[in-house]
Amino acid sequence: MISESIVPLFVAVPLAGAFLTALLKRVRGIPDILGVMSSFSGFVLSVFFLVRMQAERTVLVLNVGNWGGFQEVMGRIVGIQMVVDGFTIFMLLIVNFVAFLVAVYSVSYMTRYTDKWQFHTLFLLMLAGMNGVLVTGDMFNLFVFVEVASIASYALVGFGTGKRELEASFKYAVMGGVASLLILLGIIFLYSATGTLNMGDMKTVLSEWSVQPALIYLVFGLFLAGFGLKAAIVPFHAWLPDAHPSAPAPISAMLSGVLIKALGVYAIARVFITVFGFPRQVSIILLVLAAISMGVGALVALRQWDMKRLLAYSSISQVGYIMLGFGIGTPLGIMGALFHLFNHSMFKSLLFLDSGAVEYATGTRNMKEMGGLARKMPVTSGSTLAGAMSLAGIPPFAGFWSKLVIIVAAVQAHHMKLAAWAVLMSIVTIAYVLKVTRFAFLGELREKFRDIREVPALMRIPLIILALMCIFGGLLLVPQVRDVLLSPAVRVLAENGGM
Amino acid sequence: MKYLIDALKNPGGYFASTPLSVVCAVFAAMFFVFTVVYSFRHMSGRKGLWRYYIYILATFLATLGILFSANFLLLLVLWGFLGLMLYLLIGFGREEGTPESARKSLAIIGGTDVLLLLGIVLIWSIRYGSTGLPGFLRLPFAGMGIQLDTTGSVIAYLCLASAAFAKAGAMPFHTWLPDTARDAPVPVTAFLPASLDKLLGIYFLARVTLEVFVMTPAMNTVLMALGSVTIMAAVMMALVQHDLKRLLGYHAVSQVGYMVLGIGTGNPVGIAGALFHMFNNTIYKSSLFLAGGEVERRTGTSDLARLGGLVKAMPMVFAAFLIASLSISGVPPFNGFASKWMLYQGVISGGGTLWVVWLVAAMLGSALTLASFMKLVHSVFLGQPSQISREVIESREKTGFFTILPLAVLSLLCIGLGVIAWKIPFADYFRPGVGGELHMPGIWQSGPATLVLLAGLVIGYLIYLSGSIRKARIVAPFIGGETLEKNPDMRVSGVDFYRTIREIGILKVIYRLAEKKLFDLYEVLQKIAAGFGIVFSFMHNGILSRYLLWFVIGLAVLCIVLI
Repeated sequence: MISESIVPLFVAVPLAGAFLTALLKRVRGIPDILGVMSSFSGFVLSVFFLVRMQAERTVLVLNVGNWGGFQEVMGRIVGIQMVVDGFTIFMLLIVNFVAFLVAVYSVSYMTRYTDKWQFHTLFLLMLAGMNGVLVTGDMFNLFVFVEVASIASYALVGFGTGKRELEASFKYAVMGGVASLLILLGIIFLYSATGTLNMGDMKTVLSEWSVQPALIYLVFGLFLAGFGLKAAIVPFHAWLPDAHPSAPAPISAMLSGVLIKALGVYAIARVFITVFGFPRQVSIILLVLAAISMGVGALVALRQWDMKRLLAYSSISQVGYIMLGFGIGTPLGIMGALFHLFNHSMFKSLLFLDSGAVEYATGTRNMKEMGGLARKMPVTSGSTLAGAMSLAGIPPFAGFWSKLVIIVAAVQAHHMKLAAWAVLMSIVTIAYVLKVTRFAFLGELREKFRDIREVPALMRIPLIILALMCIFGGLLLVPQVRDVLLSPAVRVLAENGGM
Repeated sequence: MKYLIDALKNPGGYFASTPLSVVCAVFAAMFFVFTVVYSFRHMSGRKGLWRYYIYILATFLATLGILFSANFLLLLVLWGFLGLMLYLLIGFGREEGTPESARKSLAIIGGTDVLLLLGIVLIWSIRYGSTGLPGFLRLPFAGMGIQLDTTGSVIAYLCLASAAFAKAGAMPFHTWLPDTARDAPVPVTAFLPASLDKLLGIYFLARVTLEVFVMTPAMNTVLMALGSVTIMAAVMMALVQHDLKRLLGYHAVSQVGYMVLGIGTGNPVGIAGALFHMFNNTIYKSSLFLAGGEVERRTGTSDLARLGGLVKAMPMVFAAFLIASLSISGVPPFNGFASKWMLYQGVISGGGTLWVVWLVAAMLGSALTLASFMKLVHSVFLGQPSQISREVIESREKTGFFTILPLAVLSLLCIGLGVIAWKIPFADYFRPGVGGELHMPGIWQSGPATLVLLAGLVIGYLIYLSGSIRKARIVAPFIGGETLEKNPDMRVSGVDFYRTIREIGILKVIYRLAEKKLFDLYEVLQKIAAGFGIVFSFMHNGILSRYLLWFVIGLAVLCIVLI
C-alpha cells in the first residue's frame, strides 16, 4: 500500500522543486541544491521501487484521487491511474540517474549563463514531465506530461538566447507542436472509438474487436508520426540536429540521453506494444524506419565538424538501432532494444557532457580547431574514449553487448538483410566516432590552448561515473543482474518474457 | 556472475589448448619480453610510460586469451579489445601522421571486427540456431565442418576471413599497416603489426579454414589469388618507398600473402609451410623493425635519402639487419627459405589448374623482395655516409645491451630455424586438423646444403682475395665543376635504385592510381560514405518549411501504407 501511494512523488517532487526554485531564486545556492536534490530523490525513489518490485513481483496501480470507487458504478475506470511495472521502473531508473548526474554537472557548467534559477526550474519541469509520462496509465494524461516535458525543453534549447539558439528553439517548438497536435488527434479518435482513456481498458476493448476499423489504422499513423518526431526517427527527425547543438551541454545530454527516449521510444513501445498488441504492419514500418534512420544518421554524422552536431546525428542513428530491436519484436529483440536504450543513455549523455567540458575549457565546438587535448584534459579525454568506444561497439564496452544482442536477435528472426545493414552502419559508426577522438584529443596541442585546464570537480565526477557505466554496462547481461533490471521490463513487452 | 563462475569451474568450455596455440603463445611471450626490454631504451624520456607498459601487458594477455580460447564470443571480445589497444599504442607515436594512422587502424580493424561478429552470429544460426542467446554465448570455437554450400555459410566464412585478413594485414584490408609502421613507435610496430597481429590473424585464418569450415576448391582459389596479389602488389609498392619504416611496412603486408597462399593450397605441406612461414616472418620482421628503430633513434630520421654508411656506427645492428634481410628474401639457408620451400611444394601439388600462376607470383615476389632489400641495406648501412650518418659515426655511441639482446636472439633464430628445419616436429605443431601425412615432394637437405653454401662462400672469398676482381679502375666522378667539400650531402644513395620501374607502361598507371589511394579500401569507402553524406546533408538545409514538408509526406505515406 505504501509503495503505491508514493508513486505520484515521481512527478510531485521535481514539480515542487521547480516552483521552490523559482520562489527562492534570490537565496544563494538554493537553485543548485534544489536541482540536485530533487533529481537525486527521483533516483532514490526509482531504486526503492526496483527493490520493492523484486520482493513483490506485481504491477503497482494507483487510482489518483481515489476515483477507483466509481469503477463499480460506471462499469469502467474513471480518473487517472498511475502504473508502475518492470518497464516503467527500468525507464525511471535511467531517466532519474542521468538527470541527477546532469544536475550535478550543471552546478559548475551553468555558471557561464545568467539566471541559473530559470535553468533549474525548467530542468525540473522537464524531469517532472518525463517521470509523468513514464508512470501514467492514462492516454490523455500521457499527452499532458509529454507537453509539459516538451515545452520545458523548447525553452531550454533556446536558453542561450543567441541567434542560433532561438532559431533552433523555434523550429523545435513548431515541429514539436505539430507532433503534439497529431498525438492529441490520435487520442481523440481512440477515445471516440473505444470510449475510454485508460490504457488497460483500451487494451481490453481493442482485443475484443474481431475487425479493426480503419480509424484505428489512422491512429497508428498519427501516433507513429507524432511520437516518431519526439523519438527523432527519420523522416520526423529534422528538429534534432539543430536543437541538440544549440542547447547548453547538460540539456543536450538530457535531450539525447533521456528525453527522446521517454517521450518517443517509451511512448511508442508502451502504446503500440502493450496497448495495441504490436500489430504486424507497425512492426514492419518500425523496421523500415529504423533502417533508414540508422543509415541517414550515421552517414550525415560522418561529415560533421561540430562535435555536438555529430553527436546529434549519431543519436538519430542509434535510436534506429533501438527501434530495430523493438521492430524485430521477439523477446530477444526487445531485450536488445532496452539494453541499447540503457547504453545509449549512458554513452550519449556522457559524450554530450564531454563536449560541454571541451567547450567549457576551449570555448569551441569545432573539431578542426581542437587537437591534443588529451594531455591537458585527461579526465575528459579518458571518459570520451570510454563513451566513444561504447558507441562504436568496441568490446568489452557496454555498447558492444547491446549491438550484439540486437544483431543476434535480427539473425534469429531471419532478418538477415537488416542484420547486415546494422553491421554495415556499425562500421560507419566506428568511423565517425574516431573522428571525435582523433581530432579533438590526439595530435599536437594548439598554441592558443597552451593554458587550458581540466574542468572543475563537479563536472568531472559525473563524467567519471558515466564512463564507468560505459565500461561495465555489459554486466547487465549477467543473469543475476538481468533478472533484476532487464527481464522484468522485457516481460512487460513480450508475452513469454524470457529470452 | 554465473557466466564467470561457470567459466572458472569449467575452463574446458571456454579455454582449450592445441599444439599450435602453445607454439604461438611461446612466440608471443618471447616478443612480449623483447618489446619490453627494447622499450627501456627506445621509449625512455616520454611521459605516461606506465600506461604504455600497461597497454603492452594487456595486449599480451589478450593475445594469450585468444590463442587458448575455445569460445567464439570470448575470442571476439578479446579480438576487438586488441584493436583498441593497438589504437592506444599507436597514439604514443610522435609523427605528424600519428593521429590519422591510429584512426585508420582502428577503423579498419574495428570495422572488420563487426564483420567478425556477423560471421559468428551466422555460424551460430547455421549450427545452433534454436538455442537462443545462452546458446550463442556458449558457441564453441572448435571443429564444426560447416559446408560452404549456402550463401549464409559463404558470407560467414568471408566475414571471419576478412577479420583475419585485417588483423594480419593481407589485401584488401592491409592499408592501415604501412601507415602504422611509419607513424607508430617502433617497438609497437614490431610488437603488434609485425608479430602478434600476424600470429593471431594467420592462426585464426588457419583454424577457421581448416576446422570450422570445409573448404571448396573455389574458395581455395580465392584465397590463393588474394595471397598472390598481396605478395606482388605489396612488394611492388615496397620497391618504390623512400621511408625505412614504411618500406618495412609494405613487406609486412607482402609476407602475409605467402601465408594466405599456403593456407589456400589446402594440402598439408602448403599449410604447414604457411604456419612455419608465419613464425619465421615474425622473427625476421621484428628483427628488421627493431634494427630499423635503432637506426631511427640514433639518426632521428627514417628517410632513406638522409641515411647511408651507417655500418661503421652500428655494425651489430647491420649484421642483424642483413641476416633478417636475407631471411625475408628467402635466401638459403635462412629460415625464410625453409618455409618458402615448403610453400612452393604446397603450391605445386595443391594449386589446382592455375598452380603456375601462384608459383610465379610467389617466386617473383621473393626475388623482388631481395631486390628491395638490396636497396634498403645499401641506402641505410652502405654507400657514402650522409651528413647525419657522419654525426652519428663521430658520436661513437655504443648500441645498448637492451637493443642488442633481442636482435642477437632473433638473428640466431633466423639462422637456427633455417639450418635445423628438419628437426622441428612439423607433424605435431603445424598441422591443425589436417589429416594425411606430410609429404614433401621436393628434396632439400638443409644440413648438407648449408655446408655446401658455406663452402661456396669460402671459395668466393678466396677468389676475391686472389685479387683478380680487385682490378677495378677508380676515377673521380664528374660533378660539373663543383667542389665536393662544399656539398657534403652530394652522394649516391640507394633511394632511386628502382625508379625506372615506375616508368614502365602499365605499371606507371597503376602506381599513379595507387598514389591516389584508389586501391585503399578505407579511402574508397570513406569517399562513398561521404558521397551519400553530402546528399543527405544537402537535404538538411535547416529550412523549417522543408522539414515540415518531410513530416507531412512521412505522415501521408504512413497512413497510405496502413490504410
